[in-house]
Amino acid sequence: MEFRARDYSAEEAAYSLPRVRADNHPLATRSSSRQLFDHDHYREGKTLLVFFDSVRYLDMLEETAIAASSFSSRGLTYSVDAKDHKNNDFFDPLRGPNANVAVFEDVQDGQSTSTRGRLSNETALQLSMKEWASFKRFLMQKFSVSKTVSISSMSDVIVKSGKAYDKSSTSMHLEELDDPQKFAEEDVKVAKLLMDTSVLQFYPALFVLVTDVIDMLGDMVWERIKRKAEYAENGTKFCSLPDNFKASDICSDAKETCYNWFCKIGSIRELLPRIYLELAILPCWRFLHNQPQDCLQRLVMMMRGLADPLASAYCRLYMAHCAQKLQPCDRGYLIACVNDIKILLMPIVSGNVTTKGNSLENGKLLMSLSEPMIEWIMKCIFKDSSQVEDILVELGLGRNQSKFSGTFPSISIVLHHLLKELPAEVVNSNALEIMHLIECSNDFSFDQCLNYRLIGFKMCERRPQMDIVNAVVAKVFQVVTQYDGLDEYLKVMDAYLDIVLQCQLDNYLTMILDGISKRACNRRIAENELGSLQSIFIKLLTYFNDLEDAFALNHFVKILDVMYGSSRNVVNTHILNKATRNGYIRDPTTIQLLFEISQALHDGIDFSNMKEDDKQQPARLISRFVQMVDYGADMEHHLTFLVECRGAFGSINELKETLVHTSNYLAIKAMKDANKILNFVKCCIAFSEVTIPSISARIGQINLYLETAEVALLGGLVSHSDGLIDSAISCLQNFDLTDGSQVPFDMDGILSSIRKICSLLVMVPGNPERGVTYILRSILSFVSSESWITPRLRIRTLCAIVSLSATLSQNKLPYHANNIEVLGNDLLFVGDPSYHQELASVSGSVLQNLIDVIQQEPSRAARGSIALEACNCIVSSFKVGYMLLPTQLELIKQILQLLNLSNWEIFKEAISSVWKAHGTHAWSLESTMLIILTICESNPLVNHEIAQICSKLVEIAKSCLNANDKYLQSTVNFLDKQSTFWRATAVITSQ
Amino acid sequence: MSVELKLSRSNRIYCPNEPLEGKIVTKFPSSISHQGIRLTATGTVNLQVRGGTAGVIESFYGVIKPICIMNKSVEVRSSGKIGSGTTEIPFSIILRQPGQDNSERFYETFHGANISIQYLVTVDLMRGYLHKSLSATMEFIIETEKANLLEAPVAPEMVIFYITQDTQRHQLLPELLSGGFRITGKISSQCSLLDPISGELTVEASAVPICSIDIHLLRVESIIFGERIATETTIADGDVCRNMTLPIYVVLPRLLTCPTVLAGLTSVSLISLHIEKRDVYVWQQEEWRHFVEYSPFSIEFRVSIVISFQSELSKLYPKTDPKAPRLWRAMETVPLELFRTK
Repeated sequence: MEFRARDYSAEEAAYSLPRVRADNHPLATRSSSRQLFDHDHYREGKTLLVFFDSVRYLDMLEETAIAASSFSSRGLTYSVDAKDHKNNDFFDPLRGPNANVAVFEDVQDGQSTSTRGRLSNETALQLSMKEWASFKRFLMQKFSVSKTVSISSMSDVIVKSGKAYDKSSTSMHLEELDDPQKFAEEDVKVAKLLMDTSVLQFYPALFVLVTDVIDMLGDMVWERIKRKAEYAENGTKFCSLPDNFKASDICSDAKETCYNWFCKIGSIRELLPRIYLELAILPCWRFLHNQPQDCLQRLVMMMRGLADPLASAYCRLYMAHCAQKLQPCDRGYLIACVNDIKILLMPIVSGNVTTKGNSLENGKLLMSLSEPMIEWIMKCIFKDSSQVEDILVELGLGRNQSKFSGTFPSISIVLHHLLKELPAEVVNSNALEIMHLIECSNDFSFDQCLNYRLIGFKMCERRPQMDIVNAVVAKVFQVVTQYDGLDEYLKVMDAYLDIVLQCQLDNYLTMILDGISKRACNRRIAENELGSLQSIFIKLLTYFNDLEDAFALNHFVKILDVMYGSSRNVVNTHILNKATRNGYIRDPTTIQLLFEISQALHDGIDFSNMKEDDKQQPARLISRFVQMVDYGADMEHHLTFLVECRGAFGSINELKETLVHTSNYLAIKAMKDANKILNFVKCCIAFSEVTIPSISARIGQINLYLETAEVALLGGLVSHSDGLIDSAISCLQNFDLTDGSQVPFDMDGILSSIRKICSLLVMVPGNPERGVTYILRSILSFVSSESWITPRLRIRTLCAIVSLSATLSQNKLPYHANNIEVLGNDLLFVGDPSYHQELASVSGSVLQNLIDVIQQEPSRAARGSIALEACNCIVSSFKVGYMLLPTQLELIKQILQLLNLSNWEIFKEAISSVWKAHGTHAWSLESTMLIILTICESNPLVNHEIAQICSKLVEIAKSCLNANDKYLQSTVNFLDKQSTFWRATAVITSQ
Repeated sequence: MSVELKLSRSNRIYCPNEPLEGKIVTKFPSSISHQGIRLTATGTVNLQVRGGTAGVIESFYGVIKPICIMNKSVEVRSSGKIGSGTTEIPFSIILRQPGQDNSERFYETFHGANISIQYLVTVDLMRGYLHKSLSATMEFIIETEKANLLEAPVAPEMVIFYITQDTQRHQLLPELLSGGFRITGKISSQCSLLDPISGELTVEASAVPICSIDIHLLRVESIIFGERIATETTIADGDVCRNMTLPIYVVLPRLLTCPTVLAGLTSVSLISLHIEKRDVYVWQQEEWRHFVEYSPFSIEFRVSIVISFQSELSKLYPKTDPKAPRLWRAMETVPLELFRTK
């Protein structure tokens, strides 16, 4: 058995592909393309605005202080930050697809609003009915009745009519519908339920249920009359009504039925059910009149008779809903509605009239219950309207007199929803008047500060002229500085922060932070305040390109410190995210600050209880931060920092790997820096060595040990390196003891680690005291002793050992440690026969086992393929002999007898004569010659063994695999070629 | 085996000068022979008391038979045979001969509490002595012919009213008397049957919170003394805002209203006679016939605006008659003339 001699550099030259320089660095293009991306989107103007908003919005998901107090069917009402997007680093291209979806939806939404006028009535109707359905869902959710409401005495109406309702809901079956009279009676009973407002909290849910039922009645009546207008009694269709039919198109019979319905409903005694049912069949007026909208004005007036504020509010809501079905619809009645609501609510908010229960509490409840109605009606008023100014005039706020004259008493909640619907331009052009109006309407119906806040958002949406900004901001600050409470202060400031930042009103920024610090420090911050603070921090962080600028702001750190909980974590995450985005962090104070932030983030995360995904992001961010820290030449300090990090973030596995990598990196850096003493390198290696055992993943440990060992080798610390490799191996040996049995072993990972050890061992000088093959033998004993190791892994490990032995036996190793002080084995053991013997004996013991181990592999296909793999490995490691058939041997003997070889010509002649004498055509002249020469050259007995093993392996492979298998064929070829190759070499050398 | 009547109009409304048209639908399993098919249209006035209170009236209840005001009969088919299956026989019957004296009054169909005027059409299929004749009856509705109707007035006539503690003739809550209240408005005094009663009302002041404001449409049938509420319509529920105009909008109930029927002086004297004699005098059948035949009854309407104030007292009498004068109630009644327009 003999190792094959190899010339690695020649082989490398022969087999490597030619290198060509790439035109573009694949990673270098990133920044320029990103700019392009930014730019393209910027051109899209408004789309981009929405785009950014939605991105921002996603980020502020937790920050729902506003959303909680207001309803918006579209999610983006408030996310209005008109930032200068060119400088916006917040933008993340990876988020594109996600956010694009949001844009798309929103744009679509916008289009549908603007083109609604052109849509057919039917589509528009469907659209508004969808809106209504989602609005109802919202009502049910917001005023969920699942909570227990304590009632002192159940009112009669609920008890009695509750039954009626049950009955009617069960009677909703088809057979009942045949009797419209009866159905209508049931509906009256249902509608009467709404007269009862004794339990305020129930009312919205009741409203939804009742209107569902009577809407159904309305639809049925409509269908019934339409059918009468289109079909004769015997079922034949005599006309088909167009969408925009006129009353004159309707036959008198259908008209009669329709009129009857209105008479029937008109004769209901009670006002409220009478209005509701007429509203339900409101579209039916179209069968009788060409101007059915006229009824709305009367109905609005009739609702004035409902003295109960809640009942009348919801009645108006229902009207706004039903009137949608009468398209086109003017908004006069809605304006009248709003004006009536104001008159209705005024006594309540001014405290002149006592509401039920007589308390402010009840008044507030009433307002919150009425709010959806105000919001919905405002929405209807401004729906596809272009004449905003006219509407304002009609609402009594117009500029016909003295522009938003402050003399008009306004109710905070009504004002809020009006402002919410106003386009930003209108708000901007009347900003000061609006401010005055807000100032005048300070009542309990709606928190005044939220109105100021709203204006802030509107101004961000479309930034007004500078003088207006200045005036408004001055006014707001004047008001807000009066606030004692942190919550309202934050709510308003949060809205104005963007405009303050964009207009660079630095003194206001200072005031904001001063104000927050004054109100926030030395007390515990409430949950909702945390939300606002979070939003403020995120805005600041987004605005400043450089994190250090943000840190330099007055009170920034102080305010950050008062935060806690998930908001704090969100802000910390943002800070770290930003910090690690722009390259290395070098400033020591920033590093210290970020370290503390990381520490807070780390402490805020419950690593044992959280879902994997939730803790991954902070862990990754902290690791990234540690990675990005750079102390430059002050490497000792850097190492100290790593030590601190290890102490602080003990529970993050990922981080510990980063620490080891970083310390190894420091060691390498120190080595490159010629001045650095070896001690520092030793420190780094010691740090790594101490850190590695605390990492939980075994494979990770092994790889890090090996990495460190390589670094140690590079530093010339051979004994360190030996120790580390030993640790890696003992790690390997302890595998089954520590890693739970539930996780299937990562066999490939183990294999790759073993191969890595082997490749590292090429460089490591052999230790004569322990024996040069000590490590190889430990690996060998490990793979053969552990029962859990699969045959496949075992074979591959054996192959690796064989390859390594073959490599070590070479006169020149393929690579060396990059340190002149570390000698490779090729230099250490030049001409040392015991060295080569030892290597050969290791290989020998491997080869003995090989066939048996392969037979253990249960899967046929796998068995075949690993047999081939082993065969390839052996062929490239050893000289391969040739198995001769008995006839061939006989032949050769004859040749040898016949010839006295003295020169080449004679030799050739002799062969051909023997060949002719035997009359065999099996061998070519050349191969015959080569065989003979082989036998002459080498000791046939030694390599005979290798040839035998190879042929056995090929047989195994042939028995397991298809004869046409490519791998099999190529291996056989390779085997053949290898033997030919070195025999040819032998021939040439013998010449 | 069935005989049915089917009128040409689904709402069954006809004017006196129009022919009553329709068809007789027979369904027989086998053909039958008959001795003629006869169609009869009748109009009757019924005077009755439903759960009345006046003892006098009760005494003649049941005595008065319905008074016939119309009876027309035609033979649609003379004796013959009708085949099996469904057969439709059209008919047309003239209610009033054109050119005939129009002085004969055709009252509109009306279903009141005490007076009802009803028109019926009956078909009889005579089948001789051995078989029972087959028949079917259906009500049809008479409305005054369009030609005789008034043009709808451009603006309905309105009366202005105001209600204060001083306009009330009954006793009121002391708080109301001392604190005062004032409700003003206007309301139709003439109204087409097709239109709602309209108007408006404003609560200008009220010392006591208002419980509700109702509009009562009163029907005065003069055959007996008294009035009945035809409809009751709430226009305000609860203590409404002051100085906010509320609309009055009352749809007239179709079968409970008809054009105001007044018999002029005769009627007035008869009513007064009736009042005088209500306790002692029992009319004989003949006198009643005379009474009816000379348009001796009248149907009038009034509208009451009733304001109920919130009061603990009202809860003690939950089932009280809404017309009755009560401490917590103020009202104003105005006459209303109903007429049919084109």
